This record gives sequence, C-alpha cells and structure tokens, in this order.
Amino acid sequence: MPRKPSAKQDTELIAEAIDGMNHGFALWNTDGTIISCNPNFRSQFQARNLNLSQGLHLAELFNDLVATGELITSKLVQDLIDDETTALNELSTTEYTFADGSVFKAERWLFSSKMVAMLVQDITEAKRSERNLNAFLDNAKKIDHSKSRFLRAANHDLRQPLASLKILIYSCMETLDPENRAELLHAMDISVSIMEDLLGALLNIGQLDAGKIEPVTTTFQISTLMERLDVQFRDQAKEKGLRFKIVSSNYSVVSDRALLERIISNFVSNAIKYTETGGVVVGCRPDGSNLRIEVWDSGCGISPEHEEAIFEEFFRVSDDQAHKKHSLGLGLNIAKRLAEVLEHPINIKSEPDAGSVFSITIPIGDIWHSDIGEPEISERIGGEFTGQRALIFEDDPLLQKTLQELLERWGIETTCFDTFLEPDALAEHLTYPPDFIVTDFRLKGGVEGTEAVNQIRKHLGANIPAVVVTADTAPKIIEMIKARGFPVLIKPVSPPRLRVMIHNILFEPNLLDELNSKDGDN
Amino acid sequence: MNDVIPIGSMVPLSGPSAADGKEFRNGVLLAAEEINDAGGVLGKKVEPHFVNSGRQTAEEVVRAARGLITRHKVHAIINGYNIGPQNSEYEPIADAGILYIHHNTLLQHHDTIMSNPKRYFGCFMGDPAEYWYGQGFIKFISWLRDTGQWKPRNKNIAIISGAKPYSIVIANAMASASSQFGWDLTFGPKIVKSPTPDWRPLLSEIRDHDPAVLANTQFYAGDLANFQLQFIENPLDCLLYLQYGALHRSFSEIVGDKGKGIIVGTVIGLPRDKIGQDFAKRYRQKFGENATPEVGCQPYTSLHHYAIAVALAGGSGGPGEFEVNQRVAKKLKSTVFRSVSGSINYHDKWQSAIPYPDAIHDPSLGIPHIFYQLREFGQDNSIIAPEPYTDSRFVKPIWLS
Repeated sequence: MPRKPSAKQDTELIAEAIDGMNHGFALWNTDGTIISCNPNFRSQFQARNLNLSQGLHLAELFNDLVATGELITSKLVQDLIDDETTALNELSTTEYTFADGSVFKAERWLFSSKMVAMLVQDITEAKRSERNLNAFLDNAKKIDHSKSRFLRAANHDLRQPLASLKILIYSCMETLDPENRAELLHAMDISVSIMEDLLGALLNIGQLDAGKIEPVTTTFQISTLMERLDVQFRDQAKEKGLRFKIVSSNYSVVSDRALLERIISNFVSNAIKYTETGGVVVGCRPDGSNLRIEVWDSGCGISPEHEEAIFEEFFRVSDDQAHKKHSLGLGLNIAKRLAEVLEHPINIKSEPDAGSVFSITIPIGDIWHSDIGEPEISERIGGEFTGQRALIFEDDPLLQKTLQELLERWGIETTCFDTFLEPDALAEHLTYPPDFIVTDFRLKGGVEGTEAVNQIRKHLGANIPAVVVTADTAPKIIEMIKARGFPVLIKPVSPPRLRVMIHNILFEPNLLDELNSKDGDN
Repeated sequence: MNDVIPIGSMVPLSGPSAADGKEFRNGVLLAAEEINDAGGVLGKKVEPHFVNSGRQTAEEVVRAARGLITRHKVHAIINGYNIGPQNSEYEPIADAGILYIHHNTLLQHHDTIMSNPKRYFGCFMGDPAEYWYGQGFIKFISWLRDTGQWKPRNKNIAIISGAKPYSIVIANAMASASSQFGWDLTFGPKIVKSPTPDWRPLLSEIRDHDPAVLANTQFYAGDLANFQLQFIENPLDCLLYLQYGALHRSFSEIVGDKGKGIIVGTVIGLPRDKIGQDFAKRYRQKFGENATPEVGCQPYTSLHHYAIAVALAGGSGGPGEFEVNQRVAKKLKSTVFRSVSGSINYHDKWQSAIPYPDAIHDPSLGIPHIFYQLREFGQDNSIIAPEPYTDSRFVKPIWLS
C-alpha cells in the first residue's frame, strides 16, 4: 500500500505544481506588497529595472512597467496604481496589454485574512478572435443594414417606373393614333432604361459588397474612353438642351479601363442630371506624373456641408422630385467605392448655383505599353482581308459551312446561299454589296456560277471580283470557265491556294493570269 | 546517320530575295559551325542541308520541304523567310512531325497554329508577326511627339501599302491604331503594285492631303529605293517611314545619302549591344565585310535555340518521331533564349516570338521592335527606339520645316 505523503510533502507538491503552472500566480499582502510568485508570473511581470522579489510594492512595479513601455495603458501612472490598489482590495478582475501585443487577465481572491492570491491568464488569442468576430459582426450588420436600406429604396424606386410602364402599356393598347402610339412606345422605352439603370446600380453595389470586383490594370489611351463617353452621353445632353463637350487627350493612363469608365460615367450622368442650363465639359489635365480627368457642369452645385455626404449611399442633394424619381442616389457612392478599389483619388469642387467639378486622378502610363484593346491578335482582327465582305454560293451544307468558317477566320464577313436567287430577290438579303464572290460552278436549278456572278455584277453596276470552285475536273469545263474570265479552283480547295486566289482577285489582279494558267491544279 | 542531326533550310538563292537568301544560308552555316565546334548537341554534329526556294511560290517551297524530309530525313527545317507559300509548307512538315522554325513575319502563322495546335506543334515563327509593325509605328511617332523630340505640323497621317499580304496587314494595322493616339488618317491605306516605276503622281496626290507623317509599307528594296529618289526630288514636309526593305544594302547603294533621315522599322534586327556586336564581327570575319549580319542573325538565332531545346529534351528525332520532337518543341517553347537579336520567347498560343515593347513590357522577355533612322551612306544606321537598345537620338530630317 502506497505511503500517504506527509504534510510537508503535500506542501512541496503543491508548490511544485504552482511553479509549473501555465498561468501566472502571485501572492500579495493586502498592503500591496508582493509575497511570492511563480516563474510564469515573473516572466510576464518582471520589471526591467526592478527585482520582482518579496516586499516590492505594486506601485513600484507598475510604475516601472509603464515607464519602460512594457505595459500599454492610456491611464496616468498614478491612476493606474490607484486602480490596481482598488482591484487588490475589492478582489476584482483586470486586464493588461503588453507591448508585444499579448493580453492577460488577472483574477484575485482572498487567500487568507491578509493575503490576496492573483491568477494571471494569457487571453491574447481569445481577444484576437473576439476582435475579429466583432469586426465580422459589425461588417455583416453594416451589409445587412445597407442591403435592407437598399432593398427598401430599390423596392420603392423600381415601383415607380414599373407603375408608369403599366399605365403606358394600357394606354398603348387602347390608342389607334400612330403618332400617339409612337410617343407612348418612346416613353415605355425610357421607363425600361430607367429600370435597367437601377438594376445596374443594384449589381454594382452587390459586387462591391461581396468584394467581387477585381481590377484588371492595363495601360491604355484615355482617348478611347473619352470617345465612348461622347457616344454615350451627347444625345442625352442634347435632349436636355445642354452643351456637351469632350476634350480628349493623347495621354496613356494606367487603370482598369472598364471600372474607370463606370466612375466617369457616373460623374457625367450626375452632371447632366443636375444641370438645367448651360452645359457639361469633360477634359483631362496633367498633374505631374498623373492625369486628372475633370467633369465640369454649370448645374445647381453643392453646398459645402453636403460635399462629403453626396458620396454616401442613397444621399440626394435635391429633394426635387424631378431628380429624385429616377435615381437611387447611388451613382456617386458607386463611383467612390470603385475609385477606392482602384486607388485613384476623387475630388469635388463646387459652389451652390454655380456648378461643380468632379475629378479623378490616375497615373500617366508609358505610351509604349499602351494596350490597343484587341482581344486576340489573329487574322480575324488584323489580317489582310479584315473587313472584306464575301458572297458565297455553295449548295453542299458541309462545304458551305467549312468555307464560311475559314473565311470568317480570315476576318471576312460572309453571306451564304445554297441557291442562286434572282438579283432583285438577292438584294433583299444583302445588307451590303460584296467585295468578292466565291461560287460553285453548278448551282441548284441548273444555273451556272459564272452566269450568276454576271447577273449580280450587272445588277450592282460593279465588276465584283469572283472565283469559281468546282468538283468538275474535265479540262473542257475548266477551260470554259477560264475563257469566261474567271479564275477557277478544283475541289477540295486547299486553304493556302484559296487565300492566294482571294488576295490576287482583290489586290493583285495582274497576277491572276499567271495563277490561272496552271491547269486544273490545286 | 546517328552521329549527326540533319537540319534543312529552304532559302531563296535565286530570284528577288536572293540577297537575303544568301545571308540566311550564312546564318545557318555560322550557327552550325559554332555548335559543332562546341562539341555538337549531345555529341552529335549539326549537318545543314540547303534547298533553293527560288521565287518562293507555294510549289517551290512545298517541294523543297518534301525533298528535305524524304531525301535528307531532316530533324528540323530552319530558315529565314519564304513569303508566298501561305503556310502550305506546314502540311508536309506537320505530316512528318518534325520541327520548323521560320521568319516569315506573317499573322497567318497565328491562325494556322491556333486552328490545330496539336497538328502544328512543331511549327514556330522565330520573329513577331507583321501586324506589330503597325501599332508599333504609331506608338513610335506618338512617343516622338509626346516627348518633344519632334513637333508635327498637324495630326495627318498618310499610308501607302504594298500589294503583298505582309504590306497590307501592316498598313491596316497602322490605320486602325492611329486615331487612338491622336492621329487623323487623311490618306490611304492606298495599295500600290510592285514594281512602281513612277511614284510622282501618287506623291502629288498625297501632297494635297498635307500629312505630317507618310508611311510606305512596300518592302521590296528596289521599289523603295525608287520611291525615295523621287520623294527627295520634291520632298513632302513630313516624317517619312519606309518598311523593312530600306534596311537592305541594295537600298543604301541606290539612294546613297538621299536616304538620310528616313525612319525604318524591323521586328527582328541586331541590337548594338556587346552580344550583337560580337556576332556581327564574327559574321563579317567569316563571310566578308559586305555581308549583312542583320539578316543572317535570323536563322542563326533559331538554330542555336533549337540546339538548346534538343539538349534539354534529351535528343531530336527525324520524320515520324513525333514523341521526341514534341519534347523538343515543348522545350523550345518553355526556354527563353537571349540571342544576338534579343530574347526569343515563344508565345504559348501563337508559337511566334513575342515583340518588345509591343506585346510585352519586359525587355528581357521579348525581341525588340527596333526603329532606325538612316544616316549618311556607309554609316551605321542609328537605333533611336526602343530603350534600352538605343544608341542615338532622333534627328530632324533636313527636308522637314
């Protein structure tokens, strides 16, 4: 049977256990002097300039910890000492933050009539998790709040154009007058685009909230963006009787092209919305290594107290119904948030009744790095045939499809027929005259391809180049086609041979004779 | 046969491109000699076989390719350019499963490769497509303007195009990029046949459009020389750009000092850094003072690059050895080679060299699109763009007001 430990052994065991604890432990006299502490307490609270030994008063300890910067506190030292003394007497719990970022919690209890025990635990991880959780909760509440606000506002604002649309539809159904009908249809179109804009704003906000917008930064010519703004807004400004001017620039800039356009579009849209007379000007101003794009308007302006608030969600400067009904008050908020994503500062200068200037500043880029904006470098966009238009007569569906795909890969727009139509009928199907024709020799209905081409040429009054393809290898047929003045290729047509042929009929017809003189080869 | 790597080369040793053809042959010979002097590739000597591609028609070039494959069992075909076959030579080469590195400078190459990357795994274009000349030139003149090196009188640009696909693509690319950079295309692109004995009527027509810039994308040296002599009789008050052919010795010999001030571009040239100069010296030592290392550098570079790829892949294969050659092709694509012409870095989809700064901003990863300004006859042309390859600055031509 194991021997029961003696009282002395008990004490030693307990002391060993306390020394080995993962938490700090200290014993204090009720007068504030320390009696003893375990190694863990010592390692955390050892003051730099003092020896943490029996008899040291807490005032000296905390004074030294604060003076050396090891303990972080916003309190004055004396206040801290007073609080510690109070905590000791009242046996309360306190927290300490140290310079290395660690956080400790101290709990106190009466050990005996004159002694207070203090247990100190490292709660750094718990604090960190709590902070993260609080931040997450705050964010979630904000998003939720914002979404609720947004959905309420969207619900309200979308109802209006929907209601208008309903009325317009009923009116349109009942009216017989064509002019009236046209006006109603136009008004319906406007209602639909208002809803489109509002839904677009919804999407923008959704994407921003979800953090799903990832900029794709390139160097590009600012002129391309300015041109698009001109196309997008000039008619809108004109309808309102406003002058609208884009002053373009040759600068290359570094940004996300699409997001930057959205931001400036929001500025311009706002400018037109809040300007009744005068006009809107969009221009660029170099500013060191940056380019500032400015949108000037002669509108109602913004009073200084609203200059920050206008970038908040749902804020509208004017309560005027005319502005309010078509806007959620989100455009500038979206612009601001997108600008933050892009790290481009935006600015506003305004004077009530005199107009405003909204601006965004973007870095100037190296012109050599300027991205032309082509999605793929291929013949479809850059080949010698890009933009050429071909008419194809081929009744074999597979051959027609193959030929069409090949030509379109070379950048050629194609219109295909499997039957020859009379030129008048053909003209109805053609949106443009062709630059050249590729025709099978034997077409459906017994028409020969050469005759078909002649009829089209006569109808259009132009000697459109053409090439005949045929599976018929009889020398007599080949000679006949050539004698009629047509270059001929034998099926199956090899792409390189076809390419050379098309090049020659379009650009080097003088070489056709040489090409055509080769007998029946491919 | 096992101790050699037979390499084919289809070079125009007669016909209009014979001068270049001779240099292409020189480039292959010098590269082969250097590789063999260093011990060959994995102990095997490189053995070049040349076939004359003459007028570079599809028939001649396809016949040349077939001959090299069937008769000499070449592991690769490495040349300069053969403009005319419209990629028809790719077919027998793809059928054989060997490697092909050319310098045709054609956008067509992109489409052929992308149409069937598996079939054309071995076909590479060791220089960028001609398309890049277009936007590169527009960026160049915009850079000259925006850095204050040149003050154009107006924004007008006029473009004359040669009749070949190469010239048309370049002219169209210039035209489509011009407005983005603040230029107004007031004339052209007007396609002009070759040869054109009398440019004067066309020049007179262009004069009415008052361009600040005139670009001529015709590339035959003879035609361009004729153009230049007639231009200088009564020069337009504009910056003048001539396509690649103006870099030829034959052009300089015809126009002499009357070519001074012209701007010429090339997407594959010879930078004047130490690597380039050392190569030029070796090249002239071997082939004579009148040799043109700026042309020979093309297949020279590609043969060295191929040799590295073979070494990394563990060997090369003849016709029919698809697996081996696919490994070589993979290594060629994945190994950026700093050659005498700049860095050959193959685009993954196009299998053509990526141009700097047109398509890549890092000069260590692209081959420089060089802009020269011609100087007095006999003097080296100035390289005036892009950095860091320049050795001089733009000088206003004497005919500019």
